[in-house]
Amino acid sequence: MRTLLLAAAGAAALSLGMSVQADAADIKIGMPMILSGPGALFGEPTLKGAQMFVDEINAKGGVLGRKLQLISKDSKGNADEAVRVAREMILKDEVDFIVGTFTGAEGPAVSPIAKENKIVFVAPVSKPDALTAPKNLHPYLFRTATTTTIEGRSAAELIAKLPVKRVATISPDYAYGQEVTAAFVAHLKKIKPEMEIVDQQWPKLGEADYTPFINAQLAKQPEAVFSSLWGGHFVTFIKQATPLGYFKRINNNFVAGGEAGSIESAKAIGDDYPLGIWGNSYDVFNWEDGPAAHKDFIERLKKFTGAEQPSSWPSVGYIAMQVLVEGIRKANSTKSDDVAKALLGITVDTPIGKQIISPKNHSANRGQFWGKMVKDPRYSFAVMEKPVYVDPTPFLD
Amino acid sequence: MTTRLARTVPWMTVAFVAALLIPVVGTRFYTSVATDVLILGLFATSLNLLLGTTGLVSFGHAAYFAIGAYVCAIAMKTYDVPFALAFPLAGVASGVAALVFGFFCVRLTKIYFAMLTLAFAQIVWAICFKWNDVTGGEQGFNNVPYPDLGWMEALPGLASMRTGELYFYLTLVLVSLCLYILRRITNSPFGRILTTIRENPERAEFVGIDVRRFELAAFVIAGLFAGLAGALFGIFNRGVFPDFGYWAKSAEVLIMVILGGMGQFFGPLVGAFTLVALNQQITSYTEYWPLVLGLLLIILLYAFPAGILGTAADLVKALRGRRNA
Repeated sequence: MRTLLLAAAGAAALSLGMSVQADAADIKIGMPMILSGPGALFGEPTLKGAQMFVDEINAKGGVLGRKLQLISKDSKGNADEAVRVAREMILKDEVDFIVGTFTGAEGPAVSPIAKENKIVFVAPVSKPDALTAPKNLHPYLFRTATTTTIEGRSAAELIAKLPVKRVATISPDYAYGQEVTAAFVAHLKKIKPEMEIVDQQWPKLGEADYTPFINAQLAKQPEAVFSSLWGGHFVTFIKQATPLGYFKRINNNFVAGGEAGSIESAKAIGDDYPLGIWGNSYDVFNWEDGPAAHKDFIERLKKFTGAEQPSSWPSVGYIAMQVLVEGIRKANSTKSDDVAKALLGITVDTPIGKQIISPKNHSANRGQFWGKMVKDPRYSFAVMEKPVYVDPTPFLD
Repeated sequence: MTTRLARTVPWMTVAFVAALLIPVVGTRFYTSVATDVLILGLFATSLNLLLGTTGLVSFGHAAYFAIGAYVCAIAMKTYDVPFALAFPLAGVASGVAALVFGFFCVRLTKIYFAMLTLAFAQIVWAICFKWNDVTGGEQGFNNVPYPDLGWMEALPGLASMRTGELYFYLTLVLVSLCLYILRRITNSPFGRILTTIRENPERAEFVGIDVRRFELAAFVIAGLFAGLAGALFGIFNRGVFPDFGYWAKSAEVLIMVILGGMGQFFGPLVGAFTLVALNQQITSYTEYWPLVLGLLLIILLYAFPAGILGTAADLVKALRGRRNA
């Protein structure tokens, strides 16, 4: 019986080993992405967006007469697993390019692998400034994600318009929270020096009890607050802050980064969402003042995903792929060296508008949507009222 | 005939020579997988000195792996220390950390010992996660340089090799050396005392063995070799991350040991190979890897509690027994 089991396992391993060989003429793009665990809630739709772009371009005959093939693998949200998967894609699946990774750790982890194998790598989600800082930048690395600088400065621009003087911050105490808050504070001081930072709270990432932080902050009597608590952390914070009258005390002048305005966050919080605060999101399905291209994109996305109110994440996968393919087209080549050169300074017409890859830091001018969160009778969750796409170009160095 | 063959052939030398050929006959991908297996195999073997030999269940062995990885990477990148110094330094740092943590851990037994090792590991993880200026925090310590391998090209047959392949050879030699030392330790009188402690700590105490001191010594040696494995992995991975010290990593290495068989010296190495190969194959087809791993563990623990190598050894013994009878 045991030997039989072993034999069966051996046979299974052998048949798994014989992977399906792709058409040699296909352009292969590897996508390491979080597809398991809690992060899959964001990784899955990001992959869907990339797949939608691939399907659309293949239906039109592909690029340079060749079809695209997307090979995705689960990075499990782990930096070392992302490295392993990226290596496997390059060395075994022989992908031509890598588009992917999710967390602030995965992007910087895969970057050296792309460099040593001379493969163009486009990061669609990783925000940390350090990823494309001069000491880490290399010719094959590009980013279509927004950055901590852009996110912090966008929030500062928003708060600067409010009739307030006393500003506070609350952010998780780790690299992302610190970077985005530092960018916010520095930009606010620059554009409106009369504003005063009266308090800064740093709960640890994954804090379960925000009450002491909330009370300490209210004691300093801020008139507006910037936060970068995200995902489940933001949900926990909201559920504890509302009963303490936190949002009333600051007159709902709460500007929340970390995709707090995304459909994912809104659905997770449900009826408890504090209406009147400001949130951000990579994409919104209700951009009524948006261009026709965006409305069309949302309609196609509805069809592709079958969701009446689609996720905010497909946009990042879609745009990353679109930028890469425009690079291939401009280079008229699928060699990473040529594509890397073509991507410098390229302008791409995406569903959210023109995206330009800066030749200086290889990053796009990717802003996010910001808006006041309201209840709309058409939806069962809070949505942005008149979402605005904040183009960061005017306040980038 | 077969039994004599099994005894007289120096299997370890054969395995070493076979491994030397991997970059020559295999692809770059297989060389990379082999490097991965060797390093994790050393990591798992170091844990087995505690688990299989001494009978101590550590839930926090990843802490020493992480300390070794960070110390070696930071020494090499931030302070330009050559690998020849940074590598032993990583072992020493992990050994010292194991001495400090172990001092408290060996005062407890069974589940309390396990929980305390876990607690210390979480402290290490938290420090790596928060100390942005030194460790790079959540974003990790990236772009760890490869050691200078130029001298290796002067060796016969290695002139045209790429860095990744040269690094494989360096890893092969260093891991083999570490495994040799660990095997000598396991089979020494010192190792026998550890086994005595595993079998019956009360009795060991009774015959005059200072159980705590021997346990602490085993803890330090295990931590030291885990640190050396971490140092090699940080370079191989081109970056060191707080996750290296997270409890999930400790669980992973524990699974490797149990999968391969903790009663055999080379069991953990087989376990590392199996886990890496399965992970690579299964994640290529499905994102339900944790489910597959869970099922596999259930089957293993019920059907083959001695692990892969343990079961194989039992099988060989049974066959021999039948032939002799």
